[in-house]
This record gives sequence, C-alpha cells and structure tokens, in this order.
Amino acid sequence: MYRYDEFDHAFVSERVEQFRDQVQRRLAGELAEDAFKPLRLMNGVYLQLHAYMLRIAIPYGTLSARQMRMLAHIARTYDRGYGHFTTRQNLQFNWPKLSEIPDALADLASVEMHALQTSGNCIRNVTADHFAGAAADEIADPRPYAEILRQWSSVHPEFSFLPRKFKIAVTGAERDRAAIQVHDIGLHLKKNDKGEIGFAVYVGGGQGRTPMIAKLIRDFLPEEDLLSYTTAIVRVYNLHGRRDNKYKARIKILVHETGAEELTRQVEAEFASLRDSELKLPEQDVEAIAAYFALPDLPQRAEGWENLARWKKADPAFARWVQQNVQPHKNPDYGMVTISLKPIGGIPGDATDAQMDAIADLAEEYAFDEIRVSHEQNLILPHVALADLEAVYRGLVAIDLAEANAGLITDIIACPGLDYCALANARSIPLAQEISRRFGSAERQAEIGELKIKISGCINACGHHHVGHIGLLGVEKKGAELYQITLGGSGDEHTSIGEIIGRGFEPDRVTDAIETIVDTYLGLRLDPSEIFLAAYRRVGPQPFKAALYGSAAEAA
Amino acid sequence: MTKIWRETGFVDNDPWVIETDEVKASGEQKPLLGLDELIAKADESNDVGLGVLIKPADDVRRLEPYLSRLDIVAVAFPAFNDGRAFSHASLLRQRLGYTNELRAVGDVLIDQVPLMQRVGIDSFAVSNATALKRLSENRLPAIPHHYQPAVRDAEAGKGYSWRRQAKPAA
Repeated sequence: MYRYDEFDHAFVSERVEQFRDQVQRRLAGELAEDAFKPLRLMNGVYLQLHAYMLRIAIPYGTLSARQMRMLAHIARTYDRGYGHFTTRQNLQFNWPKLSEIPDALADLASVEMHALQTSGNCIRNVTADHFAGAAADEIADPRPYAEILRQWSSVHPEFSFLPRKFKIAVTGAERDRAAIQVHDIGLHLKKNDKGEIGFAVYVGGGQGRTPMIAKLIRDFLPEEDLLSYTTAIVRVYNLHGRRDNKYKARIKILVHETGAEELTRQVEAEFASLRDSELKLPEQDVEAIAAYFALPDLPQRAEGWENLARWKKADPAFARWVQQNVQPHKNPDYGMVTISLKPIGGIPGDATDAQMDAIADLAEEYAFDEIRVSHEQNLILPHVALADLEAVYRGLVAIDLAEANAGLITDIIACPGLDYCALANARSIPLAQEISRRFGSAERQAEIGELKIKISGCINACGHHHVGHIGLLGVEKKGAELYQITLGGSGDEHTSIGEIIGRGFEPDRVTDAIETIVDTYLGLRLDPSEIFLAAYRRVGPQPFKAALYGSAAEAA
Repeated sequence: MTKIWRETGFVDNDPWVIETDEVKASGEQKPLLGLDELIAKADESNDVGLGVLIKPADDVRRLEPYLSRLDIVAVAFPAFNDGRAFSHASLLRQRLGYTNELRAVGDVLIDQVPLMQRVGIDSFAVSNATALKRLSENRLPAIPHHYQPAVRDAEAGKGYSWRRQAKPAA
C-alpha cells in the first residue's frame, strides 16, 4: 500500500488547516454560502436533505486496518455510529456538524486519509479494480497509476473549477471491474508486443440523465505520457466543455457534440505540446510508486486445500459462502474474499463502527492488513490464505456480514435515495430491502445465478441503474413515486446501457415485477450456465415485456 | 471599490480600464480592448503598449502574433465557478511564452488567488471585501506543497518528479 512521505503529510495537514480557516470564515459570516459551496465540496462536505454530509476519499478503494479503525472512530465520534460505502469507493457520513468537520479531517489526516475532491467540479477520487494486485487475470496493477493520478489531480491549479465533476477509473485486468467505459476517462492497462506497459484511453462515458459509453481515443498510450495526455484531455474539456447548462456540461456531451474524431484531434494537438514537458513520468518514479503496491510476501499454505475440502463438507453454509464470495487469487494457496455489505433485508453499503473495527481486526490477522472497497458497495480482503478462510468466515458470521451473495440477486447496489439525498425523487433503500427479502433464500438465489440489480432514486444514476442487468430508476410522477425498469445493462468490458422496458411501477408492485422478470428468465434460459444478461442479450426485451404488460400493444 | 493587487502590494494609479457604454478611458487611462478589437487595432497600426481582455470563450492563441506589443493581458473570471481563465493563463505563459503583466479580473476571491498565481497570473483586480482585507494583511490561504508542476516557478519537491514546493517568500 502507498505510504505517505513527509511531503504528503505536510500537504494534507496544510489542507486541513486551510479548510478550517474557510469554515471559520463561513461560521463568522465572512464567507457567503454560494462562495463557500465550491470550497466545502472540494473537501467532501455536502449539504444534504437533513444535514451536512462528509464524503471521505478512499483512493482506488484501498484501506489498511488502521485506516478502517479511524473510519469507525469517526462514525462513533462525529456521526451516529455507522457509515455508507458508495459506488465511488468512498465512505459517506450523513450526520456530522459543520463546526466539527475540520477536526474529523485532522483525525483522517493522522492515518493518511482525506476527503479531498470527493465532490465539486474537479477531478474526483480516482477509482480502480477492487481486486487489483491480487486477481489471477491481471496484466498490471492499476493502483500505482491511480496513485500518481491522485497526486497530480490534488488541488490542481488549472483544473479545480471545471464545467462539471470529472471521474477517472483505471483497470489492469482482462475483465473490467472498474466500469471504465462509464467514466469521463477510463484507462485500461495493457502490454504491447515489446512487453511495455501502456493504456487504452477511453473518454466521455457516463451515466446520469444522458448515459453514454466512452469512446476509445488512444489504443496504446505509453506509461510515461500518462500525466501529459490526461492534462491535454482535461484542458480541452475545461476550455470547451459546455457551461450554459449543467446537465450538458460533462465531457460526454462535448465528445458527443464535437465528435470523437475531432475531439481526439484537439487532444492530440494539446498533447503534442505537453508530451516533453515536466509532466513526463520518469521510469524510476513510476517504479518507486509501484514498489509500494508490491504483493505481500505470501507464505506457502498448501494445507489450506485439504482443510477447505473438509470444512466445506462439514458446513454447507460455509461451502456456499466460499463458492460465492471467494475468488481465485494469483497465488493458488490464497483467495480474494468479498465481504458482502448486503445482508438480507439490510441497507446496501452500510456498516456500523463495530463492524468496521471487526473487519480491521480480521484484515490485520488474516489478510496482510489490506481491505478494499468495491464499486459494488462491498468490502474485499484481497489476500486470504485458504487455510484461514474458516476463521475469517466465523469472524464475519459474528458481525452478521457473512451473506453468501456476491454477484447474486440480493447483492444490490442502491444509492441513499430520498431517505438522505437532496436530489432524489424516490426511495431506494426500502426497495432494495424488500427485493432482498423476497429473494433471500439461498437456494432460490443459487438457482437464479449471477444477476446484478442496481437502484437509483433519481436520474443522476448514483446507483448505476443504467448498467444493471436489471436497473430500477425512481421517478416522481404527479407527486407519487414510480420506478422505471431497464434491462440488459452492464458495466464490464462489454458495457451496455439498459433499455427501458415499459411504463413504470408503483413502489408496492416493483418486487412482483422483478419476480416476473426473473421467472421469465428461468423459463427461457438455455441452461443454468446462461446467466440473465446473456439470456437477455440473446432473446431481447419482448418476452419480458409480454410477461410484465400482457399483450405487446400495452407495452409503452 | 476595485483595487489592483500585486505580490508587492496594492498598486496606485493603474491605467487600465475595461470600457463599457458608461465608462471610457480618459486622460492617462488606457482601455483593455476586446480580442477582435485588439487584433484590428494592432493590424492597422504600429501601436505598442496595448492591453487586451480575454473573455472565457475567446481563443487565447489568436494573440500569438501580437504578444510583443502587449503590456497587459487581462483574463476574465465572470463567476467563481467559471475556470476557463485558468487554462487561458496556462496557455499564455507556457505555450505562447507571454511574459508581461497577466491580470485576473471579475470575481476574484481570496481562496482562488493562490491558484491563479500558480497558473501565472501576477496582478489581480479585487473588489470582494474579504479578499481586500486579507490581501492588505498579506494573509493568502496558500498551501506551499504542490503535486504538479505549474507555470509559477517552484522548487522541485522531495520524492517525485511531478512535485513542487513553493519558494519561501522573499
């Protein structure tokens, strides 16, 4: 894991003091709310429906046990004893007092954390594959590049007042687990014929009210050009992105209106004059950062195979959990463990202070001190010996986080919705809870297989409904909540935007509609290995429309 | 009340005026011309010591042939959330090599002054009361550690090539 040096330490503490001064001026009435707003947003402070909200950055989703314990401490000290892990690999606290936030930020700084640029019209927290450094299918670890981008983008003097927010994601494996094609910039690490590292560069993806899949503008960008090329893209965007309408201000609209070819030309022209500047990355600097992310020294634990077989035989619930929540690691004696933050009937992504402390203990004892936050609102222990899986499982059972549902129908992504968010039109949490309860039986979930449900309480799509196999979008019609259903979305290396299936459903009819969709799928799949998304792509929307709305004519 | 501030302090008798229907440059004053106006004037005369006002949507690269004849370029921040002038300033200093006065005009707030300085702006038209007060006390809310090279000269920071450290105030 990256460890701050003196420079980083000085920077974050200076930043905390700078913000403390801004908060004091705000509280003294010297700074008007409209001028304070961009300043607080760049420090992760929102003003929500009921209170301020503090969004803490977890760069590329990587945490140590010490950092997790500090998050628990903040939940206890400045909030109501819990936090919410988000699809941006951040953690949100919903109830802090503005006057105490500088203290919370100082506490964070003491464990090398911050809330910088988790909001506002700047370059946001850089996200990455949550299995980075551990996945068997990895070409290169994306985190060193995400860390370099984190540093470069922090309090960037040219890019702190962009037309809109700007999100970068990096992935380094064959399978895209960072949803790079729905980001403003998506970077896909690859190796060329000579074995050199570079990036495929995608630009202009995004969800929200105008979902778009990013365009590939560079097939292979050499590693040394990462910062100059990114600077070129963001500069073109800063100068030419629309500012007349905040709903058309993201770079995806610029790409769409300018055309990918012309935009590429502008970026390449800008890059031509930047490529030999001070932004060029020396190999030794990249290597030095990469060294922080070296795989821990994993001792041979071959006994795990035999133990695991025995434990699985003795305890079917444990066997199910291993089957669903443990993925193959680069090292065959190890596994990558998903801690589901989706207990049946629970609030997706929420964790209490006690749970955070307990996870920190498990990470320290069994997982080389590493924890990840996934964009699917789960936590990951990326390196666990098979021989320790049983102990980890028992530890998770004790804190009610051993649900064996990673990737299954109850592993639902949901935004906070109308219960917390000032933008939402509809609730997300109660809907997620009801669906989770309806499909909660382990047998039923296993029968259905991989199925991703994603719920957003408004058109801004924080719940990523556009890329859900089944997406639910809460809308408000004549004062009542209604949910639109989309089918066939996906946020992986074959990204697709879901299609709206027909007219929306009232809150009390949504779960039935999901059940109808699921039953229709079970009836038409070729065999259990054909997952919902594959079946939908094969047959199209018609059978689902017919099942939901009767005759085709009724379907909107 | 707008005052001009430079790192050396507030400037008296600044001659530059943004002309409007009501306000015209008179006596010792000189107008900051719009980009088209500046180009027209420069093309039809041999005048030097000119001043220009770059609006957010202007293409600053059009100034290239006229830079040696400019005493000042003003870049406009019409609102605190319109950051195009940060890129204009970067392009002027880094790409076009402009070295004379570069001024921020419009919504110049104290918390943005340090960022403006880093992209090469060295003169500020300030009317915000808090900004005026803090500048008069020389209390800039700047962070001396930077994670990226920028226009303003800074010392290499420890560790990585992209880091910079502000030079201590003279």
